[in-house]
Amino acid sequence: MKNLTTEIRGIAKKLLEDKRVDLIVGFERGTLPLRSTPCFVRRSEEVRRLIWNASCENNLARYLPKRTEKIGIVAKGCDTRSIVGLIQESQITREQVFIVGVPCSGMIDRKKVDATVDGKEIFEADERDGEVILKGRDFELSVSQNELLHNSCQTCSNKNPVIFDALVGDKIEEDGKVDEYKDIKEFEALSSEERWQSFTREISKCFRCYACRNACPLCYCQECFVDSSQPRWIGKALNFSDIAIYHLIRAFHTAGRCVDCGACDRACPIDIDLRKLTKKIEKDVQELFHYRAGMSVENIPLLATFNPDDPQEFVR
Amino acid sequence: MQEMIISKKQIASFLNNLIRQYKVFAPIKRDSFVLFGEIHSSNEALLNFANSKIPPKEIFFPQSERLFAYSLTSGEAKIKEPLPVEKRLVFGIRPCDAKSLVILDSVFDGETYKDVSYADRRGKTLVIALGCNSPSSTCFCTSLGGDPFSADGSDLLLVDLGEEYVAQVVTERGREFVEEQNEYFGGVGGHSLDAMNDVVRAAEAAMKPKVKVGEIKEKLDDIFDDQIWSSLSERCLGCAICTYLCPTCHCFDIVDEAIDREGERVRIWDSCMFPLFTLQASGVNPRPTGKERVRQRIMHKFSYFVDNYGQRACVGCGRCIKNCPVNLDIREVLNSISNR
Amino acid sequence: MKNPFLPMPMRVEKIIIETDDGSLKTFNLVFINEEDESSFNYLPGQFAQLSVFGKGEAPFGIASSPTQPDCLQFTVNKIGVVTTALHNLEEGEIIGVRGPLGNGFPMEKLEGKNIVIIGGGFAFTTLRSLTNYMLYRENRSRFGDITVIYGARSPGLLLYTDELKEWGKRDDLNLHLTVDVADKYWEGKVGLVPSITKEIAPGPENAYALVCGPQVMVKFTLPVLKELGFLPERILLSLEMRMKCGIGMCGRCNIGSKYVCKDGPVFTLNQLNGLPAEF
Repeated sequence: MKNLTTEIRGIAKKLLEDKRVDLIVGFERGTLPLRSTPCFVRRSEEVRRLIWNASCENNLARYLPKRTEKIGIVAKGCDTRSIVGLIQESQITREQVFIVGVPCSGMIDRKKVDATVDGKEIFEADERDGEVILKGRDFELSVSQNELLHNSCQTCSNKNPVIFDALVGDKIEEDGKVDEYKDIKEFEALSSEERWQSFTREISKCFRCYACRNACPLCYCQECFVDSSQPRWIGKALNFSDIAIYHLIRAFHTAGRCVDCGACDRACPIDIDLRKLTKKIEKDVQELFHYRAGMSVENIPLLATFNPDDPQEFVR
Repeated sequence: MQEMIISKKQIASFLNNLIRQYKVFAPIKRDSFVLFGEIHSSNEALLNFANSKIPPKEIFFPQSERLFAYSLTSGEAKIKEPLPVEKRLVFGIRPCDAKSLVILDSVFDGETYKDVSYADRRGKTLVIALGCNSPSSTCFCTSLGGDPFSADGSDLLLVDLGEEYVAQVVTERGREFVEEQNEYFGGVGGHSLDAMNDVVRAAEAAMKPKVKVGEIKEKLDDIFDDQIWSSLSERCLGCAICTYLCPTCHCFDIVDEAIDREGERVRIWDSCMFPLFTLQASGVNPRPTGKERVRQRIMHKFSYFVDNYGQRACVGCGRCIKNCPVNLDIREVLNSISNR
Repeated sequence: MKNPFLPMPMRVEKIIIETDDGSLKTFNLVFINEEDESSFNYLPGQFAQLSVFGKGEAPFGIASSPTQPDCLQFTVNKIGVVTTALHNLEEGEIIGVRGPLGNGFPMEKLEGKNIVIIGGGFAFTTLRSLTNYMLYRENRSRFGDITVIYGARSPGLLLYTDELKEWGKRDDLNLHLTVDVADKYWEGKVGLVPSITKEIAPGPENAYALVCGPQVMVKFTLPVLKELGFLPERILLSLEMRMKCGIGMCGRCNIGSKYVCKDGPVFTLNQLNGLPAEF
């Protein structure tokens, strides 16, 4: 990872010096163990702030919509697919972005780390040879990094950027055998009652902070349907129907666009399993339309196309 | 200050007894996180915890609360006020959170206007705080005049000595409570007091280096138009996590929910981080971008609140630091401003 | 203490369509409960939160003067959820009112002074309340010269036209009406409020200027007043903000440390100059 950091800094420095971009969006060290934070660099002297490690979890494409500058953006595989989506939807132009693609073998899930140490505070954490060493007040644990990866990373089949202007490091071999819908299939196999109970339990935790929506690169609507008062689509109080509809509709709004980067899931402060909804929608899109979001800027967004062969079981 | 001892072996019985007399709120585990909830049995209480994710302000200022119910008939509008609550007790609140209640009092229990429901709940709740033997690295109460063993805002403050708690009686109400529950409290010996002082000193020493807030208000008032706000706010997502999980944030929205001629008016948590917060019907928004909104949050907590109520609206609990999805650390923000 | 969130029920006694495009309506409201009526004592410049049960609440300046005991008047512009719901009401329906809220105009300071009232568009409501209050027979002698400059985009958008006619006939009031764009019947001045103010050139000695209107009108009127010699502490503005609680608790209507609902909505220009520029 150290070499990747050096490479990213080198590329960023050159981009700024050559005035190829006005701004670099990357990551810098966070203030807590195993955290990094989005970093905005405009001067070449500051590129030494940029880092790369297994805590670079945020999808930085979220900072792209409606920007007018030329931007160099550090992007993992899933992030580059989001960037493709934003270009397809005219939220940013291809010419504006210089994509520094970084092949990624997965990002650590803070919530899994928390669970591993039973909520105790971690003072120090080091990544070494595929292991993460966690040190706290009265403990020191070594855990396999793979076990701590976010669920979306563990089933990722786009470790390598699908679009880039510069590639940092070596390509990673994609795991073609992983079944990314395994969890969803297991969930689908449950009875309708079991699924409803599970859904109700998860969604009832929600207290409408909208971190999920705001962390998503594709939730860029000027006025979110939640905030519309004329007409008022849903209420804002903690009424189960309103909360459920918010999540369901947001999931539907991601149909054909969501790349399963996991940003929504990671942002949620109270650990709602949001990927159940978004991944299910993604699975349906794959099965019904054989479409995978964000693979090429040449593709037209799924729901903006029509094919006479499209499935029509709803028409009886 | 009067001190008593309560043995940890007694706590289960103590709490079960209290549950018969009060509505008891204590730290409980819900899935992967801790919050303050009502307990019906002592074994539901979690006493070995750092701090709750959701702050105990929720007990007094719920996320969603009915202000009144109404029904309309021809020529009449019947308005039904919420009922007063029964007596309550919150057990195991941390000193920072106890202090946050005092801060919220200045907002909701003022001279001209009093939120009657809030005041009712506050007046009927006994606060038993639990001091922090092992402050987290994200705690910064001491930078703001607080302390891991501050008694500010509690009626009784417990100090964990391992086998027993020293109970410091803070208020008259606390004293009456100890008398009422005297079967559980014993006299405190010199060795316990020494142990208590050791624990307190160790905790204070363990607090991380202070955040620079000495002249933060003067600095803030000076740099309203400074471009530092652009860089400080650039990565903020504009969600409400910091505000909802902050024990002193008190902004709210008021919405009506109705079916035909009956309904209710509900107060819900709102956040100055949302664009809609200050959006006027005409379309004008005095805080159009994240920059103005982040600035407002910091200025409100560290300058405006001081102007209006003489205290800073932050207790250094660190929840915003731990839970921000982009690790926007308020300590860094404050230090950057102080160093400007 | 009284629960500040509970509205008092009032009946819509009369609805008057003020403007020719129907976008502004004045509502005459009467209290249903006597104790509510006797406790509602207000000053010009204060506002109240009107509730349409089930739709929500919004703040409106009180358009009637306290000297009008028979009803409370509010003039409402149809623009959002609550205002649309109000416009859809029929006479006889019940709404809720919370108030009086806000600080109102500083009547003690205005006594003995010449008063220059400058209003634009539908922000004229509380200025109208103030004018009627001062013109009231028992009050008139407490104030000096009263000059009213009131403008609207067109003659059809002027409020309280019948009342304006009566005001025009009085000799204890200098009334100047203006429109941005005239129609063929308009006989008054034509021009934007700031330019008309410059033309009329009210004197600053022993005077207070009260300005209420759209942001752009206020923005261009203030330099005119400055040039005429009005000091910032003698210029009063009534501000508008998105409000919910109206009592300084929900945290949204602040400018710096001042809440427009509680410390305002009336501020001197002097006070505003000391606050952060975000309004």
